[in-house]
Amino acid sequence: MAMRELVTGGAACAVPGSSSSSNPLSALANALTGSSSKTRDRIKEIPTSTTTGTEPPFYQDATAEDRLKALPGADFDHSFSRHPTLQSSEFLRNFRTADQNGFADAWEEIHRSGPPPPPALLDHRLPPPQFQPTLEGPPQRVLSNFLHSFVGSSHGGIPFRPAPLPALGLSEGDKQCIRDRSSIMARHFFADKNEDFINAQVNALLSSLDIDGDVQAKGPFAGRFRELEDYWNESQGAPRHGPPQTDGWVSEFSQHRIEHGDPNAWAHSFEQQHGPNSWASEFEQEQRLVSAADQMRGANISNLAAMEQTRMLAHTLAQNNDPKFQNSKFLQFVSKMSSGELIIDDNQVKPAALSSPGDWATEYQQKYTAGPSWVDEYAGNQLSHGPDQWANEFSAEREQRPVDDQWVNEFSKLHVNDWADEFGRQVGEGAFGESSADNWADAYDEYLNEQVVAKQNSDASRGVYVFSDMNPYVGHPNPLKEGQELFRKGLLSESVLALEAEVLKNPDNAEGWRLLGIAHAENDDDQQAIAAMMRAHEADPTNLEVLLALGVSHTNELEQAAALKYLYGWLRHHPKYGTLANPELSDSLYYADVARLFNEAAEMSPEDADVHVVLGVLYNLSREYDKAIASFQRALKLKPQDYSLWNKLGATQANSVQSAEAILAYQQALDLKPNYVRAWANMGISYANQGMYEDSIRYYVRALAMNPKADNAWQYLRISLSCASRNDLFEACDSRNLDVLQKEFPL
Amino acid sequence: MATTELKSDAIFELLKRFLETEEGIAVKNKVNLVYQFNIAPKKMGFDEVIYTIDLKKGEVIKGQYEGGKPDATFSLKDEDFIKLSNGKLNPQIAFMRGALKIKGSLSAAQKFTPDIFPKPAKL
Repeated sequence: MAMRELVTGGAACAVPGSSSSSNPLSALANALTGSSSKTRDRIKEIPTSTTTGTEPPFYQDATAEDRLKALPGADFDHSFSRHPTLQSSEFLRNFRTADQNGFADAWEEIHRSGPPPPPALLDHRLPPPQFQPTLEGPPQRVLSNFLHSFVGSSHGGIPFRPAPLPALGLSEGDKQCIRDRSSIMARHFFADKNEDFINAQVNALLSSLDIDGDVQAKGPFAGRFRELEDYWNESQGAPRHGPPQTDGWVSEFSQHRIEHGDPNAWAHSFEQQHGPNSWASEFEQEQRLVSAADQMRGANISNLAAMEQTRMLAHTLAQNNDPKFQNSKFLQFVSKMSSGELIIDDNQVKPAALSSPGDWATEYQQKYTAGPSWVDEYAGNQLSHGPDQWANEFSAEREQRPVDDQWVNEFSKLHVNDWADEFGRQVGEGAFGESSADNWADAYDEYLNEQVVAKQNSDASRGVYVFSDMNPYVGHPNPLKEGQELFRKGLLSESVLALEAEVLKNPDNAEGWRLLGIAHAENDDDQQAIAAMMRAHEADPTNLEVLLALGVSHTNELEQAAALKYLYGWLRHHPKYGTLANPELSDSLYYADVARLFNEAAEMSPEDADVHVVLGVLYNLSREYDKAIASFQRALKLKPQDYSLWNKLGATQANSVQSAEAILAYQQALDLKPNYVRAWANMGISYANQGMYEDSIRYYVRALAMNPKADNAWQYLRISLSCASRNDLFEACDSRNLDVLQKEFPL
Repeated sequence: MATTELKSDAIFELLKRFLETEEGIAVKNKVNLVYQFNIAPKKMGFDEVIYTIDLKKGEVIKGQYEGGKPDATFSLKDEDFIKLSNGKLNPQIAFMRGALKIKGSLSAAQKFTPDIFPKPAKL
């Protein structure tokens, strides 16, 4: 429902079953007319308000208002040079305009899903107790009536006594909203009352709605700017702990996100909401904070830093090609700011600055001191978190991203609606401490980075083999032989490179692909193993080793259906057991059928280790670990030197939570093949699952030292670091700095 | 065993066994909350399979929690659950992307970290 409709009583405002005033705002105005004259005056500023007052407008004399009408208002360059009192009244007007929008918003939210309340309920002459019978029905209605009773309490300036409420099931977002709006509205209603009274009123409202009024104390990003805040508090004498306008900023932000969705609109809506001047004031205020801090330090660096920041901001914004955005005053403002046109002597906190008209600081000072208390409150709070945070985040983000446009694109792709909504809600609840606010910020950075990585990895996850860059074996006369040699020596990562060179040279070489797949599997990279094995399978569809390897890798990736398909393929293509396979089966495989066939095969030739191996894998798929362990043990009796079998036994034991036994089996595998990355990583898992995190870290680091591309191990390492309370090494882990980790955790 | 089984089944099964071990009991005592997971095979919100991780009693149950309301309910896709459990996907990122929906207490949800899941060993 647009403001216009609210005011003029448009179609969306029609009150069902009522022929009287269908104008909610005028109804509200009626409800308020009994209040103080100040309130009435403010209502009068709503164009079609039914109130007819003759009092001069509050805050400003008529001449000033006339002149203001000639002013576009948004045209900030000119307005600076105006007379100070004029500017100050304009400032107030801006603020009030913004806040009337706030009224409309609040109104809208209350009525979002329920019909507007019957006009009778708005009648201010009804004393609060009479509202009580109406406090039933759908939550929207109840809430709406309740809020009216709050409004009603403003007439006599009597303390607000809330009626008992049924459970409303308010979401955190709604609570947040009510908390913010009620604080602001209360300051309108009780403009003639003192701060304590207002707070008491608001708290009474909030507590009866079961909203925690103090949540805002932990602002979402408060922790980050503790230092600045301290400076501010010192420089201001007594710190203010006012109502939650800081959170309000966040919620405002998220609301507008929801409404507009696209980043350009954000700038516009922000401009509409607060007017460029107001934004400027905030920014200015911000500058003042910075400079105040500076003066205390006796340095003047951050002024330049702020300029630089603005410059970067402007640059970033200028990347946006949308003409609407290019012409926006927001951008113009930022540009002027960055070119120094607007910030000249801004950092004067001394009253001496008052004498220079047109100066931003002066203008602000005036407004600051002249405004009613809630303006103070608003500015003060806004100051300590809002713009600074925003600008910093923005510029920090920009530094990270080489292409500025991309940021905007990324951001708009983010499902911003959901995200902002949820984020606002989360922050509103205050469930997160300061440190977790940082987590969120970090998470966002990670998310952006992840996007980039995801693009690279999406190929791999689709089963496409990803080749290494800069392969020194390209051009080698016989890379296959070299690869086999390296593999035998246990230099897995080197052999991977040589084998890649081979398959680049001979893309149809099944053996090259197969060995490459094996090397990746032993290097603990199943995705690449699968990708390579798929190519081997293409080149040689009946190769049993390839089929088994694919079965194993898909089992590791928990891809049951695929694993079953390849294991069955193994049986079907086996010269001896192929006769057991029923060709009709291959389309719709059931685990039970496949397992039955393999048991038949095992009966046929109990001395064939391979059958037991496949059975062991199959039992892993169905998580019949005891049977799987038995199968692998039988196979090991036949092939005791097969290191991969020892690892399979160990992994099965680990998955059936016999970690101690598993470690013995892995040790066997490692004795046979010291560079078996998979076994090292599995060792780490077993230690971690036993709560021995320090040990697990040593094994993960060892595995990673041999294959830094083992992504799983990096993730597990990070988890173990966190469990071992070694968050100090996160950075080393995230930047994959093995030197640091190896030094800290030698094996 | 049907071929349309979820990948997550393996992880929940592993967790179930893990919760009987000493370390599992330590995790249980540390978290002491009840989480419900609605795992969608392909698309969020469709054909969800429900698991309850009762870290008060140390149980994993396929199906809804019967002892009242879970402290937090997570809805996500099978694929994402695997990534979440092995630390590949940060729960907060998943949440921001809309890949993870959370109901219930957010402070309880915050206590959910990938390290409560044991990691599967590889054959």
